[in-house]
Amino acid sequence: MQAIRAHLPHRPPLLLLDRILEREPGVRVVAEKLVTYGDPILQGHFPGRPLVPGVMLVEMLAQAAAFLEAEPLGDRPIFLAQILDARFKASAFPGDRLELSVKPDAGFGRLLRVEGSVSCEGRVLCTAKLLLAKGEARS
Amino acid sequence: MSDLKQQVKELIIQRLKLEGMTPDEIDDAAPLFGEGLGLDSIDALELVLAIEQAFGVKIEDEASGLKAFRNVESLTAFIAEKKSA
Repeated sequence: MQAIRAHLPHRPPLLLLDRILEREPGVRVVAEKLVTYGDPILQGHFPGRPLVPGVMLVEMLAQAAAFLEAEPLGDRPIFLAQILDARFKASAFPGDRLELSVKPDAGFGRLLRVEGSVSCEGRVLCTAKLLLAKGEARS
Repeated sequence: MSDLKQQVKELIIQRLKLEGMTPDEIDDAAPLFGEGLGLDSIDALELVLAIEQAFGVKIEDEASGLKAFRNVESLTAFIAEKKSA
């Protein structure tokens, strides 16, 4: 968790990764997120029937993709530039241990395109291609 | 118009979904990015991939990409040069 906080600028409630399971910068990253009842996002989505919003699954993949970068992001954040072919096949619920896998697909200049998938116990919940823009250092 | 130039224009229209536009409407010398066609950096990545797939020409880095992407004229010249190399 310390390593995650050292790499990403995100903080609760928008820090969406719990563990990095596998990491080979520039090649692949597998991260983990445990969905819990206490998550503030689930309180309103939906009352009495908590499930993770699809866009949060995409955000999880984007945060996992940040670990494809070898160096901590520091003051050079990465932004979503485009979401391509996002498919939501099943919902994620409290208690689910989500596995977030990302690998680079293409890049040019400051843009990196990655392929990602969210799965739970071997079942794919979401797949998407994300285009990420690496930010300039703030001066 | 050279065949290659025509192909480049068709590729730009098709891959960047410039619907309703014809190759004749793209000026050889008009800037592709910013003014002119008004493409952005996301289109640039798409164009890099499209050119690699269509012509087998790799655009290695941003510097050579930006030079090639000035306009259709420069892009066609870049592809012709790389293909003959």
